[in-house]
Amino acid sequence: MTIQAWMMFALVLFCIGLYGVLARRNLIGILIGIELMLNAASVNVLAVNYHVANDPAVGRIIVLFIIGLAAAEAAIALSIILAVYRQRTSIDVANLEELKG
Amino acid sequence: MNHSLIALVCVASPLIAFVVALVGFRRRHGIAAGIVLTSGVASLVAAAALLLTAHPEAQAFTSRWFVIGDVSIEFGVLLDGRTLIMGAVVALVTLCIQIYSLSYMADDPGRGRFFAFLALFEWSMLSFVFSANLLQTFIFWELIGLSSFLLIGFWYEKPSAVAAAKKAFIMTRIGDVGLFIGLILLFRATGTLDVMEIGRIFEPQGQPSSIPPGQIELIALMLFIGVIGKSAQFPLHTWLPDAMEGPTPVSALLHSATMVAAGIFLVARFHELFLDAPTTMRVMLGIATFTALLAATMAMVAKDMKRVLAYSSISQLGFMLIGLSAGSLFAGYFHLTTHAFFKALLFLCAGAYIHGCGTNDMIAMGRAGVARMRITTIGLVVGGAALAGIPPLAGFFSKEQIIGTLDGSGLFYTIIRIGVYAAAFLTAYYSFRMIFLITRPNADSLAVEDEPAHAQHAGSDHSAGHDPAEPWVMCGPIILLTLGAIGVGFLGGRIAALLGIEHAHAPTLAEMAPAVGIALLGVALAWFEFGRTGARQAGFVASFPPVQTLFEKRWYIDEFYQRVFVRPVVWFAKLCYGTETRALDGAADKLARGVVRAGGETARRHIGRLQLYIGAAVASVAVLVFYLAME
Repeated sequence: MTIQAWMMFALVLFCIGLYGVLARRNLIGILIGIELMLNAASVNVLAVNYHVANDPAVGRIIVLFIIGLAAAEAAIALSIILAVYRQRTSIDVANLEELKG
Repeated sequence: MNHSLIALVCVASPLIAFVVALVGFRRRHGIAAGIVLTSGVASLVAAAALLLTAHPEAQAFTSRWFVIGDVSIEFGVLLDGRTLIMGAVVALVTLCIQIYSLSYMADDPGRGRFFAFLALFEWSMLSFVFSANLLQTFIFWELIGLSSFLLIGFWYEKPSAVAAAKKAFIMTRIGDVGLFIGLILLFRATGTLDVMEIGRIFEPQGQPSSIPPGQIELIALMLFIGVIGKSAQFPLHTWLPDAMEGPTPVSALLHSATMVAAGIFLVARFHELFLDAPTTMRVMLGIATFTALLAATMAMVAKDMKRVLAYSSISQLGFMLIGLSAGSLFAGYFHLTTHAFFKALLFLCAGAYIHGCGTNDMIAMGRAGVARMRITTIGLVVGGAALAGIPPLAGFFSKEQIIGTLDGSGLFYTIIRIGVYAAAFLTAYYSFRMIFLITRPNADSLAVEDEPAHAQHAGSDHSAGHDPAEPWVMCGPIILLTLGAIGVGFLGGRIAALLGIEHAHAPTLAEMAPAVGIALLGVALAWFEFGRTGARQAGFVASFPPVQTLFEKRWYIDEFYQRVFVRPVVWFAKLCYGTETRALDGAADKLARGVVRAGGETARRHIGRLQLYIGAAVASVAVLVFYLAME
């Protein structure tokens, strides 16, 4: 596959994730969208790494880091969601409007 | 024996006591006092050991602090005759006052802090005295000012005490600027900060040094301005009487061996330099004589005992400067030493009386029968007589030396001599006026009609109604200082030897006669007016009401300063304050209110939809990327 194809795939994945983040009312749905966006970024990095970089090890290490951070982020986000649910028995973002002026 | 180590103990132990007492035991008064007293004893023992064992030839122990270019700043101790004597006097007098304070401040809620400050004071003064470097001299000079500020304003709930502390600080600062300029000029002229080195540069008398005489005059004049501030000479003397607002032990400390003595010590320290500046010495002589006379006239009409002593301090400091500026290191230095003893003694007596009867007014004290306090009264009589210069007490010997040095001829010296004799006469007069007013109260004297407001002025430290009892803790220091006031005068030869003067001027009977005669004349007048049975207890100046008022109003000097300097400054400060509150603050407030309102408006535009925000952010980034890609 060419680099263009890989990047197009990553772009589609990213847009699906972005749509999830913007459109879903459920916090868990938003979280899944964020994970998709991160994975799209990883794919992008790997594609560039495979076709362009001199030393392919660098891109792989970066992606490993992204995966690790994504796991940590997911854990934190889930615990926040859990805390939100405990407080208001709902995880609908429409109800989280404290910052409204 | 290692002298540098002993000197270090002497100087550093008050510092350690200060830090430990202030940080650790400010509220545990007993422990704080114990620590400070221990350090006081340590300092005294060390200073005495130094005095007895060290060579009077100058030797310095220094260690480098930092280097700028090729100037090395060093800290250390300088041991020579001048520092050894002064160090021992400071340590002894301070210890006496610390012991005395145990009783005097026994009921004060802040006495832990008080003792810590006493230690700070002792540390600053000892470090100043032993200073081996101009920078060190200046730093500790300022620290002396700071610690006296803290102690004068010790009762900070009292507005008058706060005002007095501020006044003392600001007035002495005026002089400090002069001193600082002088020290910098001195450094520029000599190229060294080492005190011993500077002494050596100016040592060879008669032989012109490499520095132009005009410059030496300027340096000496600038240093003298610092001395004017610190040692309360005219025209910067007005802070000293107000400093009576502090607790009486503080006054005793301030007026005998520390604070005001620092200025005199500075002149003694750089006496070689001053000897090379004859014009400045004449100015000094004139100012000192005028101050001695001026303060003596104020002392002869004051009713507040502490104020009498304060004025007499100013006057006696004038005497010391007269001795020094007439060219005799020994005369001035000797008087500094003896004065430390008898003035501390007099203040401690005053404190004991105030503690006993709750008033500062000498007439009220006399009526309250404080003379029944035996030991204190003996101390008062000895101290007063020493102040008056009655032989064979300490003050006599040193004052006699000062009068003996005034052997110049010409109109100037004649005027000075007359002034000094008049001041000596008034000194004897007012000290015995004080003694007689207290020991021989007269129930139906003319002085009944003094305003009661004055009696309670100037910080009568304790409420009335005490039994005039004499606690032993108070008596001990009084007895010790009484012995000092009697005995120190006989140590003149030893002091002269330590100062490196071989032939101390040994007065003959004929030379002594005028000094003694004048002192006795003063005593006789005081006896006639205040002492004898049926005396009117009104001074001879009372017959000239305008003069009496002039003296009582302190020659209107305070008032003059108030009108010419203080009020315009206060007016200007108020103007600035008004500008600040109305114009600047108003503008800033309006601006801030505008920001708040704008914020409120913006906040209303927010609907709180997270996803909308994210969408907007993503869209903006997309537009930006698109725009950049088009470039």
